[in-house]
Amino acid sequence: MAAVTHTNEPGANRAPWLTLKYREMLEAWLFISPTFIGFLVFFLGPLVAIFYYSMTEWNLLSQQAAFVGLHNFNDALLVNPDFWHVVRNSVIFAVGLVPFNMALALTLALALSRPFFGVVFFRTVFFAPVVTSAIAWAIVWKFLLQGEGGVINQMLALVGIDGPNWLRDPNWAMAAVIVTRVIKMVGLNMILYIAALQAIPRDYEEAARLEGASRWQIFRMIIWPLLAPTTLIIMVLTTIGSFKVFDHIYQMTGGGPENGTLVLAFYIYQQGFKFFNVGYASALAIIMFVIVMALTLVQVMLRRKEME
Amino acid sequence: MTQRQINVIYRSCWTIALLIAAIPFIFPFVWMVSAGFKSTTEIFGTPTLIPREWRFQNFVDVFTYQPFARQYFNSLYIAVAVTALTLVISSLAGYALARMRFAGAGLLMLFFVSALMVPEEVTIIPNFFLIRSMGLVDTHWPLILLPTFGPHGVMATFLMRQYFLALPKELEEAGKMDGLSRFGVWWRIALPMSRPALAAVAIITFLFSWNLFLEPLIFLSSLEMFTLPLALSNFNDSYGLPLWNLQLAATSLAVVPILIVYLIAQRQIIESFALSGVKG
Amino acid sequence: MTNLLLKNIEKRFGKTEVIRGVDLVIEHGEFVVFVGPSGCGKSTLLRMISGLEDISGGELYIGNRLMNEIQAAKRGVAMVFQSYALYPHLSVRDNMGFGLKVRKVSEEERIRRVAAAAATLKLEALLDRFPRELSGGQRQRVAIGRAIVGNPAVFLFDEPLSNLDAELRVHMRSEIAALHKRLSTTMIYVTHDQIEAMTLADKIVVLRDGRIEQVGSPRELYENPANQFVAQFIGSPRMNILPAANAAMLAPNSTTPVTAKSVGIRPEHIAIVSSSESALRGKVALCEYTGAVTLMHVQLPNEQTCLVVHDKNEVPPPGSELGLIAEPANLHFFDQKGQAA
Repeated sequence: MAAVTHTNEPGANRAPWLTLKYREMLEAWLFISPTFIGFLVFFLGPLVAIFYYSMTEWNLLSQQAAFVGLHNFNDALLVNPDFWHVVRNSVIFAVGLVPFNMALALTLALALSRPFFGVVFFRTVFFAPVVTSAIAWAIVWKFLLQGEGGVINQMLALVGIDGPNWLRDPNWAMAAVIVTRVIKMVGLNMILYIAALQAIPRDYEEAARLEGASRWQIFRMIIWPLLAPTTLIIMVLTTIGSFKVFDHIYQMTGGGPENGTLVLAFYIYQQGFKFFNVGYASALAIIMFVIVMALTLVQVMLRRKEME
Repeated sequence: MTQRQINVIYRSCWTIALLIAAIPFIFPFVWMVSAGFKSTTEIFGTPTLIPREWRFQNFVDVFTYQPFARQYFNSLYIAVAVTALTLVISSLAGYALARMRFAGAGLLMLFFVSALMVPEEVTIIPNFFLIRSMGLVDTHWPLILLPTFGPHGVMATFLMRQYFLALPKELEEAGKMDGLSRFGVWWRIALPMSRPALAAVAIITFLFSWNLFLEPLIFLSSLEMFTLPLALSNFNDSYGLPLWNLQLAATSLAVVPILIVYLIAQRQIIESFALSGVKG
Repeated sequence: MTNLLLKNIEKRFGKTEVIRGVDLVIEHGEFVVFVGPSGCGKSTLLRMISGLEDISGGELYIGNRLMNEIQAAKRGVAMVFQSYALYPHLSVRDNMGFGLKVRKVSEEERIRRVAAAAATLKLEALLDRFPRELSGGQRQRVAIGRAIVGNPAVFLFDEPLSNLDAELRVHMRSEIAALHKRLSTTMIYVTHDQIEAMTLADKIVVLRDGRIEQVGSPRELYENPANQFVAQFIGSPRMNILPAANAAMLAPNSTTPVTAKSVGIRPEHIAIVSSSESALRGKVALCEYTGAVTLMHVQLPNEQTCLVVHDKNEVPPPGSELGLIAEPANLHFFDQKGQAA
């Protein structure tokens, strides 16, 4: 850096065409442009396009789309009995999975939030399925849960229980899918809860203990309220996750038996990419989009009300 | 009983409960490996943890049944590509969102936040036609582009943004005074100080790509192009029934290396997920 | 020779005006201190000079060159930050040489200049350490060293001593003063501490709400404050402001201007006499013994408290009645608007 020279050359005092402020804006957009362009092409564009697709009927032979208005939505909501069956399955899946997952995650987190001998072992074990591919996880459980000769049933037989053909029995398939999914994913919520628990200052608990509060009272009156924001995030994420579940179902049951585990994400895949009902599948995707958005908003609003 | 004794009993009960709870988390992995070594007849016989006869041939057959080595490599290089690309673009965009003043920033943030809540299944149909019109079906391009620029990329951007926001601003200003361009400040000051966030993004992105299933299922049709999860689901006989011992041997080959890395770096990996979950 | 020229400089963040038209001339080699209460805009003004903050209105010249749209690094200024802003991943040597490296100065030259700066600041022994291994005062010196290495035309200091403890602050203050003497480069220094301002500055700029209240040497500001704000901001303890009518009681020989609304008198300019010797009487409410002097809070009949610095050994006990007197020359009169009358 040289000492300032007194420049008197012509134009030295004129402002450059690019002011510092606009230069910063330009630079910012350059920084963002890769993400932004990709976002427009592979996310926002498709999101807009799907509304168009949902109002067309795709002809496989001519490879052309005909505009059919809201026909596909009408089909889904009023005509096709499959649709409500699928929604019912998705709701059962979510209602079964979310509370089970969250309760288990919180219990494990409470047990594992403080250091003790073996805590790292347990955390590592409970989180291991999270880093495992869903397909691999589903393959192994499908193997374990076979009807005859299945490992689980053979073990049950040792204690005199005649296990069902878990994944082929309409009464059991959904439960089996939910439970194995919870085991796969609970570790993620567990560590979110552990992080939240560790962020709570110990003073609160110690003050409460000095005042004679029991463990349950401390949990109910201090820890649980302080966890509320985390619980909300976990609830939203887990619910959305449960509506997105695809690979797990694909590999374990393929939507069966008797469409008993046919959930929305799988149904969209089936309609769009197996039966090539592109318009109908697009309408389903929009419905899924609306359901997920609505659930998120409802949960956020309920929580806000509760916290007031 | 003294308080001390009560505490010991209390803690023992918890530990036993946790040990029982851990069984369904460990058992599948153990059985997967064990069954991978069994013959077709033994696999359905009386269950034993240790195979009576170790059948190493399964692990050879895996590679002859389909081009498994090639598929393994596909998964690996795609995951590396997605990770590298995501690291670059998410840290660039995250930096701009954290540090620079520009028109449209608010609206952009709103778009990005909403993207986090939209499942990939919603946009997969238009994306299929888009990729097909580009002539990229049955190539690896969609498996690189869609994860990088989809909701996962946005999540990575937010994670980076959050981390940049917490860095001391004066350091970057000192860099500016020292003569660095914006790009220079990002590359030589902001990035070196963001190693934990970059590591977190790298870990979750790699696993995200490695485990991706819907996109490969939709875009890939030739065995040579398959990625691991797709290949694993493909060990069936001509009736469509699973070839259990091959499938489990292949699954072991796919899962065990990841598990080993996980066991070595479990703290770092778990923290990465905690970070992404809290920010996402 | 003029080094810096600020013409009607303005800064707006959206609709909020932070700097409202600042005009200022800074001569070559001057040590200028911007001082004022928090939120007065002193740091913003410094950052506008540095180029870290863009200028919303007006013109800034450094040397004869218009700098409004010139990038920070090209203005020939160097800045010492409040938090020192040392790069944690670089050694002291690399921290100091970083700017030269970015500007592609040859390695030979770089080594020479880093060594020279290190010698000036007695940093030679620390060159291979990392910032986290340094004490607060050492970090401060490295930050200054980094600024020196670039050989700038203007040094900017943004509250550089506020992170140090009291003792170290006094020490570093004298080091900065010595540095200025040695380099005789223009320095602009921001602080909220008026003692720092008084001890370091050739010229003090008092700011309030984005406007300059007064510019002058420390002595000028102390002896002839332009208004009540400056009068009370400069000097410690604060100047007492009493109704104008009290002036004649305090100093019988003084003449009160007709426009005067109030009179200001510094605590160190009031002497204590027995209650019969002065027209202005009060009762001692509180005595704060500080060693060299005693700070006395005297309650006047109008319920106002007047501070008096008492440097005698015998201190009147609380509750006792006494009289206050002052020299006419030490009285400062202010009009309705607080301007000097």
